[in-house]
Amino acid sequence: MGANVVAVAEHREGKIAGVTYELVAKGRELAAKTGGAVQVALLGKGVSGLAGEVASRGVEVLLAEHDALAAYTAGGYAQALAAMLRSPPKILLAGHTSQGFDLAPRLAAEWTAPIVANCVDLAMEDGTLIASRKILNDKMAVELAVTSERPYIATLRPGSVKPVGPAGAPGKVTPVSVLIDPAKNGRTFHGYERPEVQDIDIAAADVVVSAGRGIQKKENLPVIEGLAKALGGVVGASRPLTDMDWLPKTRQVGQSGKTVRPKLYIACGISGAMQHIAGMKDAGLIIAINTDPSAPIFEVAHYGVVANVLEFVPALVKELKSG
Amino acid sequence: MPLDVVVCLKQVPNPDLQFQVAADGKDIRRDALNYKTNGADEYALEEAVRLKEKFGGKVTALTAGPKRAEQMLREAMAKGADAAVRLAFDDPAAVDDYQVANMIAAAIAKRPHDLVLTGVQSDDYGYSATGPLVAGFLKIPHASVVTRVEVSEKGLKVWRELEGGDQEVVSLARPALLTIQFGINQPRYAPLPAIMKASRQPIEEVKPTDLGQSTWDGFRGPYTLAVRKVSPPAAKGHAEMIPGNVADQAKAVAQLLREKGFVRG
Ligand SMILES: Cc1cc2nc3c(=O)[nH]c(=O)nc-3n(C[C@H](O)[C@H](O)[C@H](O)COP(=O)(O)OP(=O)(O)OC[C@H]3O[C@@H](n4cnc5c(N)ncnc54)[C@H](O)[C@@H]3O)c2cc1C
Repeated sequence: MGANVVAVAEHREGKIAGVTYELVAKGRELAAKTGGAVQVALLGKGVSGLAGEVASRGVEVLLAEHDALAAYTAGGYAQALAAMLRSPPKILLAGHTSQGFDLAPRLAAEWTAPIVANCVDLAMEDGTLIASRKILNDKMAVELAVTSERPYIATLRPGSVKPVGPAGAPGKVTPVSVLIDPAKNGRTFHGYERPEVQDIDIAAADVVVSAGRGIQKKENLPVIEGLAKALGGVVGASRPLTDMDWLPKTRQVGQSGKTVRPKLYIACGISGAMQHIAGMKDAGLIIAINTDPSAPIFEVAHYGVVANVLEFVPALVKELKSG
Repeated sequence: MPLDVVVCLKQVPNPDLQFQVAADGKDIRRDALNYKTNGADEYALEEAVRLKEKFGGKVTALTAGPKRAEQMLREAMAKGADAAVRLAFDDPAAVDDYQVANMIAAAIAKRPHDLVLTGVQSDDYGYSATGPLVAGFLKIPHASVVTRVEVSEKGLKVWRELEGGDQEVVSLARPALLTIQFGINQPRYAPLPAIMKASRQPIEEVKPTDLGQSTWDGFRGPYTLAVRKVSPPAAKGHAEMIPGNVADQAKAVAQLLREKGFVRG
């Protein structure tokens, strides 16, 4: 087994996903310990331009191009990676994303290799991989030690490390030829679908007041709407509310919804799952209201209120109006 | 075209609780927890039952977990699963997802499976790894984060959720494994007579010896894995908490919003 750390690049429709550069940053740190180098595996079709873009961050790119890689599929990527990495890396990194957690565990089973998913940090200590993770809706932190002669496979939660920026000297791009048997893939890509927007754009608002499952019933939505109105803002939501059709999908804040950066974000009865936080953590001022003082939303909020949102919000609206 | 659907369920501690670290510092305290069916698994079960109602076939609810998980399997039967299987894996923490997926795959391999469904993630650990691991061990195609399923003569057409609300449409050959995303359907409640009936239905218990290993350790991968530490997360930038009763808090926040210029007039 080699000493290198290989990061699997993520890209869609000609754009490199930001998490790729976070993987490079973490990979570089790990490679310093394994005595190898960090490399990016870029798989696709007609993506030499993207390879140059990644290499400009000062990292070597292993470029595999094939018709069967025109869009991501787990089977296509798994076959290509097995063919590309004839000498397996010490560590293979992917983002903890819809692509990364689709691919990485499957590779672990196929390679008979250990997997640690959804890590917020990774370190090497004398050949042992130390994985830091958050569990139970981010209410607990766990440190896991894994030791193996097989490659370590890990997914890194997006936003956990600072991405690498452009470098003075670009890395080289090394084309690698791969053989892929599409018949063995088992999965065929057909196309992308995008939701049609026929609603206000919550990403354009200065003030977003978001409701979560803590509001308990749809009938309580006017309470939240009242606060949004008093502040000249719009109503957003956590995913369960749009899943239940209490609000249109266009109001969902988070990883699989909208990313918002308003001047003010008020989270009402939202626990603060990582997928929600991904969509609002960069708001200018974040105020969270939750009955549970251990709710992880209080980690990203600037101000926290431990209260029943159905009592607090009407009281706040009254205060705002009487002022 | 009747479908044999195996749906993998996990019983997890209710994540709304506050948790404490166990005395050895390697797990959470588990003596005072209440457990529930993992959120995404409820959607996987509902999808399995709907597919059976549409195409005929059989739904088997399967879990690897301690005896307490039988409660969850009975609920699954009350909601439409025809049979229930428990791998008698008593480790309450079950941190090695490779091992758990490996034993689940071995149990599934021994029974008919046109389709295997799991939830997209478990609410306790959130690794999203078990489904693709199981598919890898079974050597069948899979798709994660599925928000819609269409069954065709030989295969499946499914919609996968990507970041930012986009979807990707893919087709898969059968048998296949899907990890089901929240919101794909509206899970049903179990009617009372079905709950009564499910309380009398048998649950098949699978031991490692039934799967060709003397202990569950036989399903571990080629590595050692140990929890070094469980701790409350280091508070990075904890919010400044507004003290007092609701009236005080409302006053303070209104004041704050005024100072920051968010209140007009
Ligand atoms: C692939 C994937 C993508 C996802 N994408 C997104 C996404 O884009 N956006 C998103 O939001 N989620 C997303 N999720 C779901 C996410 O994991 C969480 O399940 C979700 O964010 C939880 O929403 P919530 O905080 O409203 O509900 P819960 O987690 O149930 O939290 C409710 C909170 O309300 C509090 N509460 C209860 N009653 C009251 C009361 N009376 N007053 C005050 N507080 C109260 C509780 O203490 C709790 O903290 C995604 C999940 C997956 C797997």
